[in-house]
Amino acid sequence: MTSSVWRLPRGDEGYPAPLQDLDEPPAALHGIGDAGLVSGIGRNTAVTIVGSRNPSSYGLEVAEELGYLLAGAGLVVVSGMALGIDAAAHRGALEAAGPTIAVLGSGPDVVYPRSERRLYERITSACAVVSEMPPGTVPGPGCFPKRNRIMAALGTMTVVVEAAQPSGSLITAEQAAKLGREVGAVPGRVTSRVARGTNALLAEGAGVIRDAQDVLDRMVGVGARTVHRDGPALDEELVQLLHAVADGASTPGAAAVAVGVAAAEAAVGLARLELLGYLRADPAGRYERTSIRAPEATTLKP
Amino acid sequence: MLATTRTFSLLGIEVREVHVEVDVCQRGLQTFSLVGLPDAAVRESRERVRSALENSGFDFPKHRITANLAPADLRKAGPSFDLAIAAGLLIASGQLPAERLEGVVLAGELALDGSIRPVPGTLAMAEAAARLEVTAIVVPTANGSEAALPQRPRVIPLERLEQLRQLGSVEEPPPPPSAELSLNGAGPVGPDLSDLRGQPYLRDALEIAAAGGHSLLIVGPPGAGKSLAARRLPSILPPLSRADAMEVLRVASACGRLANGALPTQRPFRAPHHTISTAGLVGGSSPPRPGEVTLAHRGVLFLDELGEFSRESLEALRQPLEEGRVAITRARGAVELPCRFMLVAASNPCPCGRGEESGECECRPASARRYRAKLSGALADRIDLSVAVERPTAQEMAAGAPVGSAGVRERVVAARERQERRLGLGRCNADMTLAELRDATSLTREARRTLAQGHAQLRLSGRGHDRVLRVSRTIADLEGSDAITDEHVARAIGLRRRGSE
Repeated sequence: MTSSVWRLPRGDEGYPAPLQDLDEPPAALHGIGDAGLVSGIGRNTAVTIVGSRNPSSYGLEVAEELGYLLAGAGLVVVSGMALGIDAAAHRGALEAAGPTIAVLGSGPDVVYPRSERRLYERITSACAVVSEMPPGTVPGPGCFPKRNRIMAALGTMTVVVEAAQPSGSLITAEQAAKLGREVGAVPGRVTSRVARGTNALLAEGAGVIRDAQDVLDRMVGVGARTVHRDGPALDEELVQLLHAVADGASTPGAAAVAVGVAAAEAAVGLARLELLGYLRADPAGRYERTSIRAPEATTLKP
Repeated sequence: MLATTRTFSLLGIEVREVHVEVDVCQRGLQTFSLVGLPDAAVRESRERVRSALENSGFDFPKHRITANLAPADLRKAGPSFDLAIAAGLLIASGQLPAERLEGVVLAGELALDGSIRPVPGTLAMAEAAARLEVTAIVVPTANGSEAALPQRPRVIPLERLEQLRQLGSVEEPPPPPSAELSLNGAGPVGPDLSDLRGQPYLRDALEIAAAGGHSLLIVGPPGAGKSLAARRLPSILPPLSRADAMEVLRVASACGRLANGALPTQRPFRAPHHTISTAGLVGGSSPPRPGEVTLAHRGVLFLDELGEFSRESLEALRQPLEEGRVAITRARGAVELPCRFMLVAASNPCPCGRGEESGECECRPASARRYRAKLSGALADRIDLSVAVERPTAQEMAAGAPVGSAGVRERVVAARERQERRLGLGRCNADMTLAELRDATSLTREARRTLAQGHAQLRLSGRGHDRVLRVSRTIADLEGSDAITDEHVARAIGLRRRGSE
């Protein structure tokens, strides 16, 4: 682990090549952590994941899962360490022990937001944070749009998980498109405020990202690799409950109504699914699907 | 001339005997002084006594009067000394023969017109009088029925001050009819569980909580029926035993809540607002007064919007929850108040109430996170069950009335009987010690495996593990099963508190 700040000036051989595509490439990158990781970003290795600072739990789940699977597949996950989607993507990547880079709007040694200090420490010790700003710079207005263009340039593809309209995430996506990079967006509910930006991107022709496989298909070519996590086999009753939760039944009461069994029975089934990793419960006790898939033989409904 | 009468001073929910000595001295200026650590309400007693005497056809002596409340080091509060002071004054001034009040204790507040107002703590006073073996206790008529509960001594209910003249004569008011507590009589009283439409899972959770005496957290958006459900919990709890009912009445009496003559025997339900002070919640001030936890003794304490209660208030609930009593220590001694209650808390999923996954939540991420942290930290290690609810659907609302409280209560009573056979009278699964928990759990092999899975997959802490076992035991008791099966454990895991381990 290194906590000292390094500097990669433009023209240095370690200066990441994709940044040269920018109209005004940063004069230098300041960073902490693994400088080799940043230098090694070639044309095909990084994916940028950005999104709302105020996401839904669905958005968090998707961002973390994308981070986990894409980093696991060997891509460098680039994001901005902001609250919400950015942090979730970094966390997912770290969980998979995969590479991740946080592009900061402040100096590389200034933790912002401060509540993400632990995440910052994990990233600097295992991976790297970079910034255009010299050490000690406190974030101010204007820092973040500039930061966004670096994120857009570093990623071969930029994936927006959830975004309001207007928002910083949309600016990043726009800049990525201007640089000729791929842009993808995760579809959301049309009534949801944080899905308005992403759904608008999709309407404009951004790639539909339903899972990590969609990202890999677009970046590496269709069918290049398959990524997902398989869970253990399930009997039919549990499969039905799993579908009910996927369809929005988040409490045992609602699931019981959807499947047509007694509430106590549904509660037992949901607890079993949670124990098997198919579901997770938020602090309030409401269930949601994880991205673990049921094995083919047991998925019944089309 | 000197006279002494006897009364009581209320301390928490107990009473101490107080002697009132009144001296009327012919020499000196016309004054009326009151000594013996009286508080403001007691000191004002002088004005009430003066007017009440004059308006009841007695003379207020135009001499130097001194009244002393002994023991002198006990702080006296409240207006219940009025009657004893007035009676002492009447004896000392020769207007009432001393023999009339031989072996009699008195308590009552005087109105200016001479009528006698009810006072708090009459039940405890009557019980103390029985222990002191006095011959009679004089109480305000409004407190008559509670004073008659201990059967002994003779109760003399008075309406007006001039009735003191009738004591010991044929005109003396007859004692109130001795009240019988209706304990098992008519079944559940109060709001009925059949009002709760839909929400079968919430009903299950209520039943499990009631059966094992477990504390319960209900999380859901406004309109999901959280507080409606909590208010119906007392109706499915087992009926009070006579001893427990007396404890409830003693608390109610000490808080002046029995003055209408009714003797309620249902379990109390208390729902303090979240702005309540710590002293209001657990008791306090000087002299110490019972708080909401004591008022909820043997009943239900409902904290709506758990996340909005102040941290200090929630922290102060720890000792009462654990020990079933509150000890309030003051420089002049300690008071102990009982508080065995079931805790039910409710909360919105986030500050705006819509819930984050609704996609319509307008909470700022930082505030939503603070709220969650507070919610999962609040009394985290004291809440056994947690249940998430949604608003009932239109179909559920339209469906016929579900089972009422009576049916559920039968099952709860049966489950409690199983627990009492195992643990002893009056005990339930929620207060099992760790050793008892180990003895009481015969898990099937599948149950053991499910529990181990919970350990691995859900990262259950040691405490979370024990809590799941405890709740599994209650679910098995409800089904009349000795062994804890895999299904019981799974249900308990589904009902565990999240994000607190």
